Amino acid sequence: MINPILIIAIALGTAFSLGLLKKLGRELSFAITLIALAAMAFISAQWLSAFLTYNMLGPVVTTAGGRAPFVIVLQMGHMEALFTLLINVMGVMGAFYLHDRLTENGNGAMAVLLAGIMGLNGIILTGDIFNLFVFLEIASIATAGLVLLVTDFKSLTAGFKYMLASGLISGLFLLGIIFLYNTTGTLNIRELLIAVPGTIKAGSVASFLVMMAILLEMKPFPANGWGIDLYSGAPAGVSALIASASATAAYFVLIKLLPLGGTVAYKIAAAVGITTFVASNLVALSQRSATKLLGYSSIGQMGLVVGIYGLNYHLGSKAFLIIFSLLGTHYLAKAGLFWLSGIVQSTEIDKWSALRKSPVLFVLFGIFVFALMGFPPFPSFFGKWELIMGLVASKLYWWAGAILLGTMFEGIYLFRWFSRALKLDNQELAKPRSTIYTFVPPLVFAILLFPAGYYTSTYTGGIGIMGFAPLLFIMLIGFLDFLPAYIKNILSIAGVAAYSWYLWPHVQGNTFKIVFAGIFMGGALLALFAGFYRRGKHLGFYPTTLLMFLGLGILVDASNLMELFYGWELMTIGSYFLLIRGERSLPHGYSYLLFSLGGSLAMMFGFGLAHASAGTIELSALNHIHVLPALAYSLMLVGFMTKTASLGFHIWLPGAHGEAVADIHFMASAVLLKAGVFGIILVLSGMGNSEPYARNILLVLGWIGALTALIGNIGAAFQESAKYLLAWSSIGQLGYIVFGLATMTHLGWLAAYGYTITHFLYKGILFLIIGGIAFRVGTADMYKMGGLIKRMPFSFLAVLISIITLAGIPPLVGFTGKWIFYNMIVSEHMFYQGLVVIISGIVAFLYLFRLIHVIFLGQLKDKNRRVKEVYPWLLIPAYAMLIGVMVLSMFPNTLLGPLGRMLSTAFPKGALHWDGYTASTAYGTFNMPIIMAVIGSTFAVVFLWLLLANRRAVKVKQFNIFYSGEAPSRPELTHFGYNFFAHYKKAVGFMAVPLVTRFWDQVSEGLHALAGYGRAIYTGNAQSYLFHIVGFVVAIYLITMGGLS
Amino acid sequence: MNFDPMKIPWSLLGLFIVFCIGMFIRGFVPKITARVGKRIGIRIYQPWFDYVKNFSIQTSITHGYMFYLGPVFRLTGGIGMVLFMPLIHGSWYFSNFAFAGDMVLFLYLMFFGTLGMALGAGESGHPYSAIGVARGLAQVTVAEIPLVLAMLAVAAQHHTLSISQIVAAQQGGIAHWTMVTNPVATATGMLALLGSMMNSPFNVVLAPQEIPIGPPTEYHGTFLGILTTNRSIFPMAKIIFFMNIFFGGATNWAILILKGWLIYMWPVIVGVVFPRFRVDQSIRWFLKVPLLLGILAVALV
Repeated sequence: MINPILIIAIALGTAFSLGLLKKLGRELSFAITLIALAAMAFISAQWLSAFLTYNMLGPVVTTAGGRAPFVIVLQMGHMEALFTLLINVMGVMGAFYLHDRLTENGNGAMAVLLAGIMGLNGIILTGDIFNLFVFLEIASIATAGLVLLVTDFKSLTAGFKYMLASGLISGLFLLGIIFLYNTTGTLNIRELLIAVPGTIKAGSVASFLVMMAILLEMKPFPANGWGIDLYSGAPAGVSALIASASATAAYFVLIKLLPLGGTVAYKIAAAVGITTFVASNLVALSQRSATKLLGYSSIGQMGLVVGIYGLNYHLGSKAFLIIFSLLGTHYLAKAGLFWLSGIVQSTEIDKWSALRKSPVLFVLFGIFVFALMGFPPFPSFFGKWELIMGLVASKLYWWAGAILLGTMFEGIYLFRWFSRALKLDNQELAKPRSTIYTFVPPLVFAILLFPAGYYTSTYTGGIGIMGFAPLLFIMLIGFLDFLPAYIKNILSIAGVAAYSWYLWPHVQGNTFKIVFAGIFMGGALLALFAGFYRRGKHLGFYPTTLLMFLGLGILVDASNLMELFYGWELMTIGSYFLLIRGERSLPHGYSYLLFSLGGSLAMMFGFGLAHASAGTIELSALNHIHVLPALAYSLMLVGFMTKTASLGFHIWLPGAHGEAVADIHFMASAVLLKAGVFGIILVLSGMGNSEPYARNILLVLGWIGALTALIGNIGAAFQESAKYLLAWSSIGQLGYIVFGLATMTHLGWLAAYGYTITHFLYKGILFLIIGGIAFRVGTADMYKMGGLIKRMPFSFLAVLISIITLAGIPPLVGFTGKWIFYNMIVSEHMFYQGLVVIISGIVAFLYLFRLIHVIFLGQLKDKNRRVKEVYPWLLIPAYAMLIGVMVLSMFPNTLLGPLGRMLSTAFPKGALHWDGYTASTAYGTFNMPIIMAVIGSTFAVVFLWLLLANRRAVKVKQFNIFYSGEAPSRPELTHFGYNFFAHYKKAVGFMAVPLVTRFWDQVSEGLHALAGYGRAIYTGNAQSYLFHIVGFVVAIYLITMGGLS
Repeated sequence: MNFDPMKIPWSLLGLFIVFCIGMFIRGFVPKITARVGKRIGIRIYQPWFDYVKNFSIQTSITHGYMFYLGPVFRLTGGIGMVLFMPLIHGSWYFSNFAFAGDMVLFLYLMFFGTLGMALGAGESGHPYSAIGVARGLAQVTVAEIPLVLAMLAVAAQHHTLSISQIVAAQQGGIAHWTMVTNPVATATGMLALLGSMMNSPFNVVLAPQEIPIGPPTEYHGTFLGILTTNRSIFPMAKIIFFMNIFFGGATNWAILILKGWLIYMWPVIVGVVFPRFRVDQSIRWFLKVPLLLGILAVALV
């Protein structure tokens, strides 16, 4: 084994050598620097490997054989090995990235870098507190030197403030060390840790000053203005080093020295850390500078891990897994983002759209952002999961809530940044220039996030290999993005088919899972088949689509809550990228992501309570939760309702779906929304309706469902765009389903399941066809269409049958849903909610007629006279679903029979009985084949009669209408389509007032105002920042003395 | 209950009788409204002449397939409503196919013809047709609210959605009629009826006194003949439905005619007394008293 002292020696030796070898070429010097850093990393890696392989103790090395502080005592243990490895790897990558600056500034700059990395290594390895102080000073001075690699005003002032702040902190630290030495007579950290609790009281000046110093090194709120200026003022490569390497080393100091402060120190660390996390992310909300955002985020993230360390006794054996997963993600992702900021060379977040001109860099940007936000498959996903589970299990609800709130704030600005970069126009912006030196480090770190995620998952359990293996296939599709769309389409279909093959044995025999697996995987296959209509490469579409469907597949296959959440989050990422593809989708995609994030966080808290209640994360944990059950179930329902776009959480849907193209619209609405239904069914199955709280929740849920149905359908009636109309319609349809589920009755659930399946079919048809028409006509505005029945007869027929089904008009299958609802409403006496649902159904006639009339009937416009029928690639899947509709219409028992049998176990009372094809309840009855036969034969007879009597009918031209003697010639003037229900709006328009949108706007404005208020403390004035530090120390002292000790 | 082929001829006979009653009333009502206005009015058999005339017109034009099929949908819906409703209580011959469906079927079958007709009219390309449809749909969405509430109240009261069983539950004298046992639901239903009978104040959909407007604008000849057939069947179907659920049904054809005529007169009388609403006015009207009455009706069950 290589002596760890060589880490210090190599760094120092090389740094001095560089000073002596100035005549060497700068490239050679740079190579030597890199080799030195790599050697240091190798030593750390070798030790870490040894520690992981063998159960051994690390060596303690002293220089010159004396005692500290006259010699340096170095300790290498498994933690030291890991942390030095992180720092040295960052040193290698950071130096590589800084190639241009280092070679430009010469050997001195390289020596400073080496000294800095050496200082950070020393901080970790030293076993002596005075040495620690010395290494901190070395690292601080080196950091300041690196900041000043660029000598513009911003960097100079940032470096100056940093020096002042670190000087003050060092002073506190040194004073603390002096007092400690005076009290204990030792500077050895191990000895101090043993001596301090016995010799001095926790909270004494000595330990308090040391504790304050190490906390201040973590840049706590609000004493962190200097830190934010440092992050934003330093060159990107240096900021990356500070964010990843310096912060990691400082954190290690915290781990090492916090025990000096005793129990109270942990409480302070927890409070300060979590406050910093929440406040930094809140303050960042109104920030538009990328580097400042990264600064706030870095400080926030480090605050979080500080807080977690403060709470680590509550987290049990998972504490360090949580810390390392979050710290590791921050380390990789934040460095990556700072590096990218150097490539973009603009601090304005809106200018980051330029990054799209380098797709690979943009992908890296996405990976870093989603990793930071704790999405799978990255390590932070598992860390946050375990963190919330642990905190909730320890009844630390407020801490968990604060962390989730802070995460939400972070999501708001990180996703705003990412979404704007993804969608804003970048034509005027220059392509970011990257070299091999600036490209490789972020690429390596982004790649490392994936194995790191898998590695973390192996420690948490819960996610099987099938949670990761398909990701490799998706990555492969991503690498093949340069291929034509049809090839990727074929590959994607093969992938989905293979996954379906894998999934089938897992769902076989479980009707509930079969229904949803059928919708998800069947939807995937149909949507991908429809995708053959696309030409070109359709960049980025297939990986994200497959990611969404993988998430949905995992959701169905999940055997525990973590798997469920994993699938849910994967699905969210994939669907976000699909929904934001539309031309004007920026605000809607962003809104979708925020609602999804908020829902996920609520859901995670709910899962935490379920886990705390059952002591397991198996799905059975959802059954009869006894720890804050009302809160648990409500949070989970809120989480799932963000996906079903239920009232209050629906505002993202119209725009997100309305701007999507045909096949994406189909996936998003007919398929994706069902994920929320899946979740609600799981939650309600676990909750039951026997407890009083459950009945209250169900009452609220029922009203949410009913009102969602009404508002959705009324909203649909007033849309001019067919896509928006269908989007609002989806809100309404999902409202029916939520209402049905909330009834907790056999018939209610039967109707909900029935709607889930039939909505998939008829809405699938509508989305594909209407999307196809919009593609052909070039607009989704219905009033710009008209008369298309003559150009698109197949589309018309499909839409006709779909709207008849959706309207619930007999003899098609939609009627069965209405019939079941009526029976349920009467038998359960749910008149008021039921009335709202029924009215909603009747209101649906308005938009359905508008949809088919304004598009297909009326007057054909001149510009559409040569428009072609919708692509067969869209018609074929639509007609396949149409066959499904007709079969279910003829024989509804084929669907309702098995569903009824499944539901009879949970809801044995009030079931639907089948006698042949006759369905009956205690109240009503219907026989669909007879209804269909009577209607069909009547139709046929009347039709034949008309044919016979009207055989000489002549088809006339378009304008041959009875028009008061006038001869209309402009179809635009005779096509009644715009503002179709003006009179209706005049009467009930008050119900379409976007109150919910206004509410969320107010929330957003309030948060931004609060953020602006909080940001006011960051004046940029160095004196103020020093005062903040002093004030922070005084405040903590007073609080500590007053309450926590 | 199993399907018996002999039901077919008897149901067709019942349908024909309903049609004839409808034709009679369609001649009788204009006569009354004319007399109220101190005019002579049409002859009572005029609808029959119009009927023959429509089917005899030699020229016929069509605007397309949906235009052609619109009247077919319309009449199918009207006939379907009759065929799934028991006409004469206790009579196997005139119970039609009521065993295959209930009130919910009736309610939604109402829209079958309406939708088809609206689509057919839409393909004519005439803006007035579409305007009429838009008005009609907007109005029907609110007129249905009290109807649904009344239906729910009646179904809850009699513990069934079956029209036949509701009629059966009302037998034994007027005291058993829903009208007596559940007057609030009946009042609600009767107010709802006003909205669907195309009489003033709710007939702006067709606006018969001014410019030709509404779905039939472009229909003529045989098409109009089919629609006329439906105009004799469809309102009768609704009237018989109301008779069945509120007024004890009918045990023979004479009672059916009498009750049907009286119920039919309700919207007619209201129509000649009150002026026409605009659509937004009628929407607001249905959302006031009828809605409150309907809520009261279900609250009282």
